[in-house]
Amino acid sequence: MTRSSAVPAVPSSAASGSGASGRGVRVARAVLVVVGVALIGLGGWVLTETVSPTRYGGLLVWLIGAVIAHDAVIAPVVAGIALIVGRTGRRISPTVLAILQVGIVLGVVLSLVVVPEIISKARGTKNDTVLPFDYGTRLAVAWLVVAVLTALAVVVWTVLARRREARRTA
Amino acid sequence: MMSAMRQLLLTLRTAASSPSRNARSATVLGRLLAAAFLVCLLTGLYSHFLQEPASWMRFPTSPVWLYQVTQGIHITAGIAAIPLLLGKLHAVFPQLFQHPPVRHPVQVLERASIALFISTSVLQLVTGLLNTYQWYPWPFPFKQVHFALSFVIIGSLAVHIAVKLPLITRYWRARDSYDADGRFVEPSGELDPARAEHEAVRELARMRRDDAPTSTPQPAAVEPSAPQPRGLVGRVTRWIDDAREPERDPARSRVSRRGFFGAIGASTVGVVALTAGQSFTPLQPLNAFGPRQRGIGPNDLPVNRTASAAKVLETAMDPDWQLTIAHGERTMAFTASDLQAMAQGDERLPISCVEGWSQTAHWRGPRLVELMALVGAPADRSLRVTSLEEKGGYRVMLMGPEYATDPATLVALEVNGGRLDIEHGYPARMIAPGRPGVLQTKWLSLIEVI
Repeated sequence: MTRSSAVPAVPSSAASGSGASGRGVRVARAVLVVVGVALIGLGGWVLTETVSPTRYGGLLVWLIGAVIAHDAVIAPVVAGIALIVGRTGRRISPTVLAILQVGIVLGVVLSLVVVPEIISKARGTKNDTVLPFDYGTRLAVAWLVVAVLTALAVVVWTVLARRREARRTA
Repeated sequence: MMSAMRQLLLTLRTAASSPSRNARSATVLGRLLAAAFLVCLLTGLYSHFLQEPASWMRFPTSPVWLYQVTQGIHITAGIAAIPLLLGKLHAVFPQLFQHPPVRHPVQVLERASIALFISTSVLQLVTGLLNTYQWYPWPFPFKQVHFALSFVIIGSLAVHIAVKLPLITRYWRARDSYDADGRFVEPSGELDPARAEHEAVRELARMRRDDAPTSTPQPAAVEPSAPQPRGLVGRVTRWIDDAREPERDPARSRVSRRGFFGAIGASTVGVVALTAGQSFTPLQPLNAFGPRQRGIGPNDLPVNRTASAAKVLETAMDPDWQLTIAHGERTMAFTASDLQAMAQGDERLPISCVEGWSQTAHWRGPRLVELMALVGAPADRSLRVTSLEEKGGYRVMLMGPEYATDPATLVALEVNGGRLDIEHGYPARMIAPGRPGVLQTKWLSLIEVI
């Protein structure tokens, strides 16, 4: 990422399109809204053509459940953890915090993908070539590898930072 | 009441704010996410029309890996979209607590399109992922809903982009987004369609200026000298403010942003690298979590529908089995040894599933064109192919003339050097270039020219 040293208060990209009042932006927005509404309508029509109305209730519950699962569970938990880390972790170097964050997020995202796989395998598959691995063990190994790599990165960064510091004071 | 509501929303918004949660992060992740969803739509549509073509549609039979690669990309882009969507939602989370929730008609459209986008895209990714695990815990049909929602997702995304276009263009480039110290440059009011979007942020900044002694950032907790809300609300607000304190330092906030993008980038690369080996040969050694693995199964090939599920265990093993080929009044029947006695074609063709996994195998059997020539079938006709299966959505398969006349299409009797296993369609199965696995009909019984 390149960044010019002096950034104007009003950036050039906004000036060229002259904000929301620019004609190009207005046309683009109109086209996008028309196309978007048409596609939403098409999706709704396809749904009514192919899915029995008796299933709409269940679909609606799952659609609303998806938003609740994110907005009321995942996001607040993440925000809460970020707050606690922000408060307790201020003596820790921000880079170390960032490295830890990369490791934890990677592990959590892998788990989000793999845990349903473990459950699905436990429920039984149609044949042995579906979900052939021991995903639980593999996930545990993945967490271990992520933890080791994260720890290594923290150690390497800390050593380098100390050397830098020593050179500066010398 | 209103002021308590306002205080609550502002508090939540402060609590949720962080250096990575700004319009630039949302723009960067939004671009990637939009690209992933668009790729999923196009590759999904390709598969849809291959499976349910209009009568005039014809498809390329070459390169033979076209379907394999498009569906590998479909599933991989969908998996990559999981961390991207989580990152995007993380970047915009404080917007949930706008005050007032709706101030302008455009905002009604905006919030409605966002609600629609979030619910449909989260559901699409969850159900799509679980479909590759063949687990269906929801009370609606997967295929139809997946197809219908794909249009709703892209449509609501288009509306969302339209509403946010001024912000997107404003923060398209990194150098326009941060000042020399690396501080995020807040948007000016007129950039925003409803003007309300960032008022809460600026209001918050004003409140902070009034409240706190804005000298050098203190590492330790400092009680602000100005009056604060009392009681529980005050305590919570102070605690949150305290937690946020380090992030007001530009150097720290830059590192925090890099950490955020590093986390999303590493997660995306991680989930793709560890699953895409089920679809792409170079990543095969890394396939730790893919729901399929190449080389596993009878004839070293994975199976989807088994012979017992298809209820063909007896009919397929019947020694009197015959493949009937009908062209109007002309009908011919071939036993397995008749077919084996014919000239055998050898082809390397992939078997590719809409669920993303695929494997190229070495197939052997009479070429379909030669069989059709025996009954005098014209080149421009479609075929109706019927399996021994008693029932099932793919018992009868229609084959367009582009596949019926392609010399690579085989009535396969052998795969990978051995006689077809019953799980792979013994005594004979169809294998054509560039078609979905479900249309490579197993346990052949009847081929009709239509």
